[in-house]
Amino acid sequence: MGRPRSRLRPNALARATCLAGRRSRYVAASRSYTATVARSTRQGSHAPYPRNVPTDLTVRERVLEAAYSCVARYGIGKTTVDDVARAARLSRATVYRTFPGGKDQVIREVIAWETGRFFGRLAEAVAGAPDFASLLEEALLFAHRAVEDHEVLQKILQTEPGRLLPQLTVESQRTLAFIAAFLVPYLEREQLAPGVDVAAAADYVARMVLSHIAAQGRWDLTDRAQVKTLVRTEMLAGVLAQV
Amino acid sequence: MVAIDIADATAERPVIDATLRCIARFGVGKTTLDDVASEARCSRATVYRLFPGGKDRLLEAVVLHETARFAAGLRDAVAGIDDVEELLVAGVGYAARHLKHHDALQFLLAYEPELILPLICFRQLDVLLAIATDLAGPHLAPYVGEDEAARAGEWLARIVVSYLVAPSSGFDLTDPDSVHRLVRAHVLPGLAPFLRGEHHHVVH
Repeated sequence: MGRPRSRLRPNALARATCLAGRRSRYVAASRSYTATVARSTRQGSHAPYPRNVPTDLTVRERVLEAAYSCVARYGIGKTTVDDVARAARLSRATVYRTFPGGKDQVIREVIAWETGRFFGRLAEAVAGAPDFASLLEEALLFAHRAVEDHEVLQKILQTEPGRLLPQLTVESQRTLAFIAAFLVPYLEREQLAPGVDVAAAADYVARMVLSHIAAQGRWDLTDRAQVKTLVRTEMLAGVLAQV
Repeated sequence: MVAIDIADATAERPVIDATLRCIARFGVGKTTLDDVASEARCSRATVYRLFPGGKDRLLEAVVLHETARFAAGLRDAVAGIDDVEELLVAGVGYAARHLKHHDALQFLLAYEPELILPLICFRQLDVLLAIATDLAGPHLAPYVGEDEAARAGEWLARIVVSYLVAPSSGFDLTDPDSVHRLVRAHVLPGLAPFLRGEHHHVVH
């Protein structure tokens, strides 16, 4: 059945706004997350993908871009490998060669990929912060807004949370590791409270950041003053020598 | 919302417990009211009389009961404690161990995440945090005042949920020493400005 092919990617506007003038650094941040995904996928038993194929990454990214736009339009349940192949202008066979696990693998990896892009954008948005506390403030303000404004995420959360959340939860280990690894160099530049272990502190702070990105609870994370209080009490009071 | 009168619910209790055992064994999807009735050694009619809405009503009752049971367990775990550090360690440790050893919950997280995660993620996490705040707040209020207690209750719930869903090599909240380290390293310093009177002797 012929679904109309849309030329406008649903995320095109959001991406353009976020990335204007900063694309290369963003790509680097997002690639490093993607590389983590690729490594762990290659080691997994059911998702090896061909090595030594120079165009592989490109095909992969074309499929993922296409899958993302299909999910945005039809949802996770109704997206088929045929839809994805058509949107990517590739044959079904090519999609299966790159993703031997078929739809399940494509969906799994597109969720990981978009999560990586989200945190890549976040990393990019806050990279210039002058100190650790302001870094976290910017991160929370930016990420809270980005989650609220993420149309595809919000739509899937409304209509198909059961298909999305298990995968996001599996992904959360990697997301925490990514956030923590991102925080470490910033932490190392700070005067830390006596006895603070940088890796453990980065892990703790990453958890608090991710938790608040997912749900703001009693806080209003559009209010900079509240975000400042949150960061300086629950996140950093035990980490920095002075907050 | 979580205040359920346990005394009124004694007839329901064996059926609730049987349901939890069934869920821990087969999951929510595969558990039938027949399974529950035979596990509870009662008739199907009894189950229907207690829960006229059938399986959905039964599952709602299970959630209410389990929340009330958790609240009661938390109360017992912190009873008689008059030191804020001990209170935090006992409360966080109890919550983490209770949830970790809750067989029905663990079955859901492992095998039917599509049923349980929509109840504890994003907007729904706000609901869970509000319940946790109601539960933890009263225990904390004597030390930090009511406003701060509500905030801290939510904070502690975030900590427990985070380490439950994504375990860490840094802290294992089912281990009392580990909880102690976490409380001293991160929680007490954040609460220090709000601590009252003789409790205000926190050091790094």
